[in-house]
Amino acid sequence: MKTAVSLHPFVELIVADDDAVRDQSLFDVAEGMEAGALLDGCEALEAFWRSAESLYERVRALIFLAALHRYILPRRGLTERHGRIPYSAHDALMQRRFREAIRALREAEDDPRSNDTLASGLATAYERLALQFLADQVRLSVRSVPGNQWMFRVGHAEAYPLRLRPELRGRDGAPAPVLREATAVRMDLSHSSWSDIFFLGMDRPEFARVLNVSINLAPADGGERPRPPVEAYFRFIDRPVIRLVSIDLEAQAEVSSLAELFDFGRDYLGLLKAAVIASGLVPPGVEGSPQPLEALLERLIGPGLGFELVSNVNNIPKGSRLAVSTNLLASLVAVCMRATGQAPELTGPLPETVRRIVAARAILGEWLGGSGGGWQDSGGVWPGIKLIEGCLAEQGDAEHGVSRGKLLPRHTVFDRESIPDSARQALENSLILVHGGMAQNVGPILEMVTERYLLRSGAEWTARAESLAATDRILDALRAGDIRRLGELTTGHFFGPLTTIIPWATNAFTEALIKRAKDALGDAFWGFWMLGGMSGGGMGFIVDPSEHAAAKGTLAAILRETKRDYETALPFAMDPVVYDFSINEDGSSAAWCGAAGLPAAYYRLRLPGLLRKRVADLSGDEAADLKHVAGRIRVPGQPAPGDLAILTNLLPDEPHGTDGADAPGSLEALLAENGFDPGQHETLRRQLLAGAVGLAQNRLPGATQIEDVEDGDLIGLAGDGEELRRGREAMANGEVAVVTLAAGAGSRWTQGAGVVKALHPFARFAGRHRNFIEVHMAKSRRAAMDHGAPVPHVFTTSYLTHRPVSEWLERTGTGAGDSFVRPWVSKGRSVGLRFVPTLRDLRFAWEELPQEQLDEQAHKMRLSGRRALMRWAESVGEGSDYRDNAPLQCMHPVGHWYEVPNLLLNGTLARLLEEQPTLKTLLVHNIDCLGAAPDPAALGAHLCSGALMSVEVVPRRFEDQGGGLARIDGRVRLVEGMALPREEDEFKLRYYNTLTTWVSIDEYLAHLGLSRSDLGDAGRVRLAVRRAAARMPAYLTLKEVKKRWGRGQEDIFPVLQFERLWGDLTALPDVRAAFLRVSRARGRQLKDPAQLDAWLRDGSRDYIESIGAW
Amino acid sequence: MAFMKIRTAVLTSAKRGHTHLPLQTMIDREGYPQATLALQLKELVDAGIERVGIVVAPGQAELYGEAMAAAADRVTFIEQTDPRGFGDAVLRAKAFVGDAPFVLSVGDHLFVSDDPARPCAAQLVAVAERERAPVAAVQSTHESEIGLYGTIGGVLEDRDRALFRIRKIVEKPTPTQAELELLVPGLRSGHYLCFFGMHVLTPRIFELLETAAADGKDGLALTPALDRLAETETFYAYEIAGHRYNLEERHGLLMAQMALALASPHRDEVLTRIVRLLAHTQSPVR
Repeated sequence: MKTAVSLHPFVELIVADDDAVRDQSLFDVAEGMEAGALLDGCEALEAFWRSAESLYERVRALIFLAALHRYILPRRGLTERHGRIPYSAHDALMQRRFREAIRALREAEDDPRSNDTLASGLATAYERLALQFLADQVRLSVRSVPGNQWMFRVGHAEAYPLRLRPELRGRDGAPAPVLREATAVRMDLSHSSWSDIFFLGMDRPEFARVLNVSINLAPADGGERPRPPVEAYFRFIDRPVIRLVSIDLEAQAEVSSLAELFDFGRDYLGLLKAAVIASGLVPPGVEGSPQPLEALLERLIGPGLGFELVSNVNNIPKGSRLAVSTNLLASLVAVCMRATGQAPELTGPLPETVRRIVAARAILGEWLGGSGGGWQDSGGVWPGIKLIEGCLAEQGDAEHGVSRGKLLPRHTVFDRESIPDSARQALENSLILVHGGMAQNVGPILEMVTERYLLRSGAEWTARAESLAATDRILDALRAGDIRRLGELTTGHFFGPLTTIIPWATNAFTEALIKRAKDALGDAFWGFWMLGGMSGGGMGFIVDPSEHAAAKGTLAAILRETKRDYETALPFAMDPVVYDFSINEDGSSAAWCGAAGLPAAYYRLRLPGLLRKRVADLSGDEAADLKHVAGRIRVPGQPAPGDLAILTNLLPDEPHGTDGADAPGSLEALLAENGFDPGQHETLRRQLLAGAVGLAQNRLPGATQIEDVEDGDLIGLAGDGEELRRGREAMANGEVAVVTLAAGAGSRWTQGAGVVKALHPFARFAGRHRNFIEVHMAKSRRAAMDHGAPVPHVFTTSYLTHRPVSEWLERTGTGAGDSFVRPWVSKGRSVGLRFVPTLRDLRFAWEELPQEQLDEQAHKMRLSGRRALMRWAESVGEGSDYRDNAPLQCMHPVGHWYEVPNLLLNGTLARLLEEQPTLKTLLVHNIDCLGAAPDPAALGAHLCSGALMSVEVVPRRFEDQGGGLARIDGRVRLVEGMALPREEDEFKLRYYNTLTTWVSIDEYLAHLGLSRSDLGDAGRVRLAVRRAAARMPAYLTLKEVKKRWGRGQEDIFPVLQFERLWGDLTALPDVRAAFLRVSRARGRQLKDPAQLDAWLRDGSRDYIESIGAW
Repeated sequence: MAFMKIRTAVLTSAKRGHTHLPLQTMIDREGYPQATLALQLKELVDAGIERVGIVVAPGQAELYGEAMAAAADRVTFIEQTDPRGFGDAVLRAKAFVGDAPFVLSVGDHLFVSDDPARPCAAQLVAVAERERAPVAAVQSTHESEIGLYGTIGGVLEDRDRALFRIRKIVEKPTPTQAELELLVPGLRSGHYLCFFGMHVLTPRIFELLETAAADGKDGLALTPALDRLAETETFYAYEIAGHRYNLEERHGLLMAQMALALASPHRDEVLTRIVRLLAHTQSPVR
C-alpha cells in the first residue's frame, strides 16, 4: 500500500512500483547511510512488516531485518556491546513462536541494534519467521489448488466420493488385471538460478523459467536400453487392506488402519502412503478420524476388498538430481487417479488438465511427507522437452491477491518444429549423464537462494539476470542442434551465474572431475552441466558425439578415481554411475500389463511371506500370485534358470564379513587395534542398564550454583605492551607448537556420514578449495614466517581419521620441505564401542531435553520416525553393543580430553621436544575453530597469567549453544551444556568456549605427576594418564550414525557413547586456568555446513585468508 | 422454433432389470396407495402435460396398463428394442414429440416438491415457458454423490429465480474434475448442481443425438448431447424447490416413501412412529 508519507529508503525498496528501485541491493543502499539512518531503517522495517498486507513485502522486510542485524550493523561496528539472550526468546524460537521471540529480544535489557548477542538472536528470528511465512503460503496454495480442495473436506466414509473403475476388477473369477504407470524423470538444462523455488515463481513469475527434459535411463554398463525410470502398479486385491510394496526399497506392508497409513516415518513406505493420500484414495481430511479404513475401502471398492500399490525405481540411486522421488510420487498419484476415474483414460499418456493436477498432488504429497521440491520437479509427467514458466495469478485464481504468481507453472511442450528430431538426437549423442555418488542436502542451498533473491545483492542480482538470459541462449542452441555451443553455455552458466549466486553449488570433487575430464578428453570435451540444485550427485558432461562411446568409459574411470581421492573427505553415498539416456516423448503413460505383469523383483520380495502362510490362509490374489510364480519356474522338461532368482530370497544371505570376526578390518580387529577396553565397556553397560549413568546423569546436581562470570575474570588481549613482547619473544624462540584436534567424527559437519571433516575442502582460499588441515597449517606458517622460528603442527587423529589424514599428508606432500611448518600426526590410543540406546535415554533426549519444534508435517514425520527407533532399540536390545553397521560406524572416539594425553602415550610429545627442545607451550584447538592461530598477543597473555592453561572465550551469540564460561559454586570454569542442571542456566552465561587453549607443557606434565624426563617411560605415562582420566567426568551422549544400504539410501540411528571433555580440566581445583577474551573472528567455529554461507558473507573467510600464508 | 406452451412429456422407463419399479405401490401425500408410475404421471399432468410418451423395454407396456390409473388415456408407449443407452431411449421419442418443446423425466426417480401446490414438474415448465428456452432441473448435491449424476458448471443468472446459465455438463464427474470445471459460484462449499432427473428440451436435442449416434459408438448417452446443447444455445438450469429420490438405489423406495409421508398431513403421526421404531431397534453388531 502506498502512502504520501515519506518512506524510509529501506521500505521504499520493498514497495516501490519502479523495478529499478525495487531491485536495488539492500547492502548498496545501506552503504552510504549514516548510523542513525540505519537504526531508523530497522525501526521502519519493523513497523512495516507488522502492517504489510502483502505476504511478499512482509517477507522481504523480515529478510532485510535479518541481514541488517547479521551483517550490516556488526560490520559498521554498531553492535559493540554484548549480553545475554533472554531465555524466553530462545524458548519461543525453539517452539517456532517467532513473533514472540522477536518481541522478547526487542524488549531485552539492551537495544538489540547495538548489542551483538541480541542482534544475532534477532537475525535468526527474523529469518526463520520469513521462511515460515513462505512455507505456510506454499502449503496454503497447495491446498487451495482446484482439484485438491475437496480432499481436505472429506472427513468420513459417508462423504467419501471416489469409486474404483470397474475395469480393474477381474472378470469371471480371473485375477484382477494390473495397471502400470511408467513415468520419466526430468533433467533441467537450466533452472535460471534455482528459479523453480516456489517462492521465487510466486513472487516474480517473470523470472521463473526452466528448460526441462523428460528422460529414460539405463546404467551404461548394464546392456539395457533406456526406459522410464519410475513405475507404479495398481491392482485390486481381495482383502480389505491397502498393500504397499516398494520394490526398490525392498519394503512391503499391509495397511489396515488410517493411523497406520498416516504414520509416514514408520517404514520405508512413506512415499507410497503420501501418494495414496494425495491422490484422494484416502483423502487427507480423514487423518485422525477413528473410523476403520475398511469402511472407506468398502465405499471405494466394495465390501471385503482392497487395493495394492507398487512402486519401482529402475536403477537410479538417491541424490541423482533427476527428481526421482517427485516423479515417482507423481507416477503413483497418476495411477491412483486413473484407477478412480479422476483421469479420464485408464491407459495412454495423460491429458494436460490431469498432468497439472498430478503435479499439484505430487507437491501435496511431498508436503505430507515432510519434504519438498521445486515446481519443475514433476516435469517427468510431461513429454519431451518443455519450457516451464511461472505465470501471473489472475482474477479467480486461488493465489490472486496473495502472490503475483501462481503456485503451478505453465508447461510449454516443444513440438518437432520448435526443436527438430535432429537436435534431440544430437543432444542424446553428446550428453553423458552421471551420478557422482555424493549425497548432500540441497535444502540449505535453497534457503540461501531465497535470501539472496530478496536482498538483491549486487553481483548475485546481476548473475540472476545473466542466468535468465542464458536460458534463452541455451534454448537457441538446442533449437539449432548446436550441442557444442550448448555445452559452452551450460559450462559458463555453472562457473558464472550459478557459483556466483551460490558458491556452494560447486565443490572440490566436481571441479576435479571437470578438470580431469577436460584433460583426458581434450577437444572432445564440450561442456559440463549441473543438474538440479547442486553438483556432486547427478551431473552432465557434453562431449563430441564421435567420441561419445569412448568418453563414457573415460568418464567412468575418472569418476571412480576422483571419488577415491575424495571419499574420506566428502560424504559419498555410493559409487559413481554413468547412464545411457534417451528423451522420453510420452511423459507419464499407463498400460495394462495383465495379471502377471508385475516385475520379477516384486515376486522375489513377496514370495517368502506367501510361502510362510498356510494354503488355507492365502487370499485369492495371493494364491494367484503363487500360481504365477510356479508357472514361471516349472517349465516342463527344462529348468528356467533366470527365474530361479525368485527363489534366492528364501535362502539365508551370507553374513557380512564372511572372512570371520577377527579378520583385518573387522570390528573386533579394529577394536583390538585401537585400544578398546572391554572391561571399562562392560562396567559402563552395567551402569547404563542400572540407570547409574545416562543422559540425565550428565547434569550437575540441582543445587549447584551457576552464575555468570565478572568481566574481571577475563583477560583481554593487548595490542601492545609487555604481554605482546613476551608473546613475540616466545614465538621467536620456537617455544610454540600447535595441536589441532582432528580425531572426532565431526558428526554435525558430516551428519554422521563417517568421513573426515579435517579433509573436507570446504571453501576456496587463494584460488582453490582447501581443507581444514591446509587452512590451519597456513596460519601456523604465517606465524612462523613472521617470527622466524618453526611452528610444529600436530594433528591428532583417531581410528576414524588416522589413515585418511596420514595418507592425505603423504599423497599431497603437505609440509614437505617447509622449514616453517611441519605436520605431525598423533594417533589416538582410546576407542569405545557404541551402545544401542536405552528407551529411558531416548525418552530423556526427545521428551526432556529442549527440542526444536519442526514444521507441522515434519514434526509428524519426526514423531513417527522416533516411534520406529524406539521399537528398533527395544527389539535389538537396550544397552547392547551397536554392531549392525560398518565397523567404523560402530566405534566412537572417547572425547577430546584424551587428545593431549595421547601425545604422551604415543610418544609424539617426546619426539617433538627432542626435535625442538625450546618448546614450552602448546596451542590446542578444535578443527572447526578456523581463527585459532599462534597469535603473540594471546600467547603473551597466557604466559603473563602464569596459568597451566588459558582458554579463549568469545562473547556469546545466539548460535553459540552448549555451555560456556561460568562461575560454578564460586569457581570460574568451563561448563558443558549437557552438564547444566537447567536449560535456562546457559542463558545466564555471556561467554562461550572456543576450546582454543594455550597449555604450558611443563605445568601440564606436573599436573599429571610427570616431567619431561619421564616421557620415555611408557608405563609411568600410562599410569599417570589413567589416574588423570579417573578424575574427569564421563558424559554419556546420544549421537546419530548413518547406515547406508541399497542404492544410495541412508538410515540414521541414535546410538549412545561416552566421552571425556577437555574443558572439564578447568574444573579441577589443582589446575590453574585463565580465560582470554578474544575476538569473534578468532573464536568463530564452523560446526555445520549450513553455517558456511553466513561465515562467507560476514567476512570471516576473508579474515582467515588474511592471516594465513598460502 | 417459437417456444409455446408445453403439453408433451417423455418418461423413460426402459431400463432392463427394473421393470418392477413403476409397479411398486406407495402411499401418496393424501394417504392413498398408488403405483409409482401413477405418481409420476400425476406429477406431469399437474404441470399441464397432455401427452406422455413412456419409453419402455419390449413387453413392458402390457405390465403397466393398470398402474397408469387416471392418466392412461394420455399415454403412448414407445418401445426401445435394444438397450443402447439413455440417449437412445430419448431418441426413440422423436416422432412422438414432433416439433414442440417437451418435458423429459426419468422413470427411476420420484419427485417431492417443497410446496405441494407447485409440483416439481410444474415449477420447471413455468420457468421454461417464461424463459422460452430449454431448462434442466437441478439440485445442489454434496460432492460425495456427484458420481451418480450429470453435473453442470455454470454461472448464476438470477438468484431469486434460482436460475443458472449452463456452461458445461459432465456425466458422473469425480470431485477432482468437478472442482476444476464445474464450480458454481454461490453454492455451499463442496456442493454442485446435479441433474434432478427432469428437463424441458426442444427437438434440437434429437438432432444432437442423431449426430452423436452417427459416430457409431456403442451406447448413446444423453449428457454429451446436453453438453453440446449448452455449447450452442442458451440452456438454463433451474434449482427446483423440491427433492428427487432415486428409487433404484439401496433403500431408495423407502426414502421416497418417507419423504412423501413426511410431506403429508400425517407428518406428526409418521414422525411419532419413526421415533418409536428408533427406540425399539438396535444397531446390529458389525
